[in-house]
Amino acid sequence: MHIPDGFLDAKTALTTATLSAIAVSFALRHVRRELPSRRVPLLGLSAAFLFAAQMVNFPIAGGTSGHLLGGTLIAVLLGPSAAVVVVTTVLIVQCFLFADGGVLALGANIFNMGLVATVGGYAVYRCVNLMWPGPRGRTVALTVAGWSSTIFAAFSCAGQLAWSQTLVWEIAWPAMTSIHVLIGLGEGIISALILIAITRTRPDLVATSSLGVTPVRWREFSFLCLLISLGLACFVAPFASSARDGLETVAIQGGFAHRALAPLQSVLAADYQIPGLTSPALSTALAGMLGIAAVLGLALLISRLVLREASPKKILRE
Amino acid sequence: MKRNFKFTPTPQLVVRKIIGTITLILLITLTPSTHPIWFGLEAILLLGLLWWSRVLLRCVLRRLLILSPFVAGTALAAHYSATGLDWKILALRSTLCLLTIIAFAETTAVSDLLRGLRLIRVPTLLVTTLALMHRYLFVLADESSRMNRARAARTFTTGRRLAWLQAASVAGQLFVRATERAERVYDAMCARGWKA
Amino acid sequence: MKPAISVQGLSFCYPDGVAALTEISFQVARGECVGLLGPNGSGKSTLLRHLNGILPERLLGENGPIQIDGTPVTSLHLAELRRQIGLLFQDPDDQLFCSTVAEDVAFGPQQLGLTAEEIHQRVQAALQQVGLGDLAPRPPHHLSIGEKRRACLAGVLACDPSILVLDEPSSGLDPRGRRELITLLRQITSTKLIATHDLELVVELCPRSLILDRGRIIADGPTTTLLSDEALMLAHGLERPHVLQHAHPHRGEPR
Repeated sequence: MHIPDGFLDAKTALTTATLSAIAVSFALRHVRRELPSRRVPLLGLSAAFLFAAQMVNFPIAGGTSGHLLGGTLIAVLLGPSAAVVVVTTVLIVQCFLFADGGVLALGANIFNMGLVATVGGYAVYRCVNLMWPGPRGRTVALTVAGWSSTIFAAFSCAGQLAWSQTLVWEIAWPAMTSIHVLIGLGEGIISALILIAITRTRPDLVATSSLGVTPVRWREFSFLCLLISLGLACFVAPFASSARDGLETVAIQGGFAHRALAPLQSVLAADYQIPGLTSPALSTALAGMLGIAAVLGLALLISRLVLREASPKKILRE
Repeated sequence: MKRNFKFTPTPQLVVRKIIGTITLILLITLTPSTHPIWFGLEAILLLGLLWWSRVLLRCVLRRLLILSPFVAGTALAAHYSATGLDWKILALRSTLCLLTIIAFAETTAVSDLLRGLRLIRVPTLLVTTLALMHRYLFVLADESSRMNRARAARTFTTGRRLAWLQAASVAGQLFVRATERAERVYDAMCARGWKA
Repeated sequence: MKPAISVQGLSFCYPDGVAALTEISFQVARGECVGLLGPNGSGKSTLLRHLNGILPERLLGENGPIQIDGTPVTSLHLAELRRQIGLLFQDPDDQLFCSTVAEDVAFGPQQLGLTAEEIHQRVQAALQQVGLGDLAPRPPHHLSIGEKRRACLAGVLACDPSILVLDEPSSGLDPRGRRELITLLRQITSTKLIATHDLELVVELCPRSLILDRGRIIADGPTTTLLSDEALMLAHGLERPHVLQHAHPHRGEPR
């Protein structure tokens, strides 16, 4: 789903480019700190592998075949930060050398495929793997993760197209998501099959930190997730929130909507609008970002208070 | 495409080319759809640029044909959409931007592009990764086609399940070989004095 | 005069416990050209990687088994060591990792911290020496394997090493490429250690040879004596080369 030029307007291109630039430089810093120097060429070689693997045909029917996107697979093999770097590299080369994906849309493409698909897919992988450990669990986890990552990326892409007013949200998200539910299935299965093939020849490569690359540090991982949330707040939240959510619908149907507590809402940002800003899309986006920042700030504050009570040093001394 | 190997542009020239390409694409994106004459002028400029750079027509056409189903699909969806965006304008804008990138890609060597990126302070790790990716993607693509050929020569049954398992096996082998090669490249870099 | 390469009692095991080298001892004098022979898996490549400190991963201290020009191979002297020893790897694709030939040949001098002018001079000189002057701006994947090998050699020569260590330099070359390589190597006067299966090349270039088998040095002596010993050759996965089997008009009867 490489977005070509001409499909995104200036504000979307700029926002996604900024978020992607922050994410990639952050991922690079993390990789530089954590990666042993003998693994540095592996980043480039993995990018080359991804590119070559994307050309392998997985025949479906007639002349069509499935292909790998690969972000989730690389995230499982090399860690999420390294995967961000690797997929970004692939996207840059595809854009400038093969004209696959627009130059101004590069920020959006990196956001969707390098950030959302990779980090989101990795998160799903870890969750499923936690519930079902072991080699079979790993395979299932990667299948689900690969499938989810494609849908997440499609969702994000639809949001960007809607925010640019190229497509209406009501058409964009069902169209993109429904197609990618199918494509995602291919991605999940192909990723899992490749992981099985690697495990068969070199099981040592698949063990969690044997390639010695970017172990997951939750602080860094959370930062990447924050960037994703900020982006989605910009180009998904405005559309999602304008439609009545489940609770509201139930409230209206149940006849108790008028009794809902409105005071706090109206004071701050009624219906996610910021008073003073005329553009509804922009103000919703800003409100979303502020909301996320507020929640995160609260979470950090709480964790700092709680964790100070039980620092590791204290425990060791006891 | 005949590349002139005798001419090596300075990194400053490449940076100017990058900026020029991005500016042109920005202009095309921002061209108002109410004045289609501008699109015509941009098209003439681009085709002139391509002809002057001696880019072969079939290269251009081949690349244009790879304009993914994404574009066609989105353009048609936009046509039936309520945003009032003319699908013809969308397709035209997209094609012009594509021609710009093709003009850039066909006239810039990767090594020059990388030198230009270093000049605009793109982080070294990213430039190294880009350089190694470009260097080894042909090597790995060759390895994968060799493996495919070898498998095809020993496959006597057909079937999608088998084809998928074989393709996955080839890809898996490719990754293993990539990691082994990465080790050897590291040794070769260190042998000539590289410090990470 | 200190020997160029001095190895005393070198032993090495891989992380999985497999013993790759056992009590290796030999010396190579300055300017000598020595052949390193042995069957596959004998440890030739492993030995070569010890000479410039790629192995072991944690280098031993001052009393280590290897000395290059009197200097022990330790992490302190690694930079200078790697300038002194030019190692040519088996697969030229591993060694040509830059986007163009010229860039790749310039890599070594760049790491040495030379000025742009000096780097340019070294690159030109090295490319001229191997006969690749007009292929400088080409990307490596456009080159034939013979040209790639020569490009690798240029990259190594640009660092001005005093010792050249080559791992299977003639493998994959066609007869012309092989002949060009032999001529080139003959012209280079630095100390040379050539690990190879190409026995005819060893007879041509190396007056002295070492035979390695299962990580141990089996024999160390004049090439023609060693290679004419049919029993010795066959016992260690080699065979007597044709050039020493048949009479040659310029060489007389085989010994």
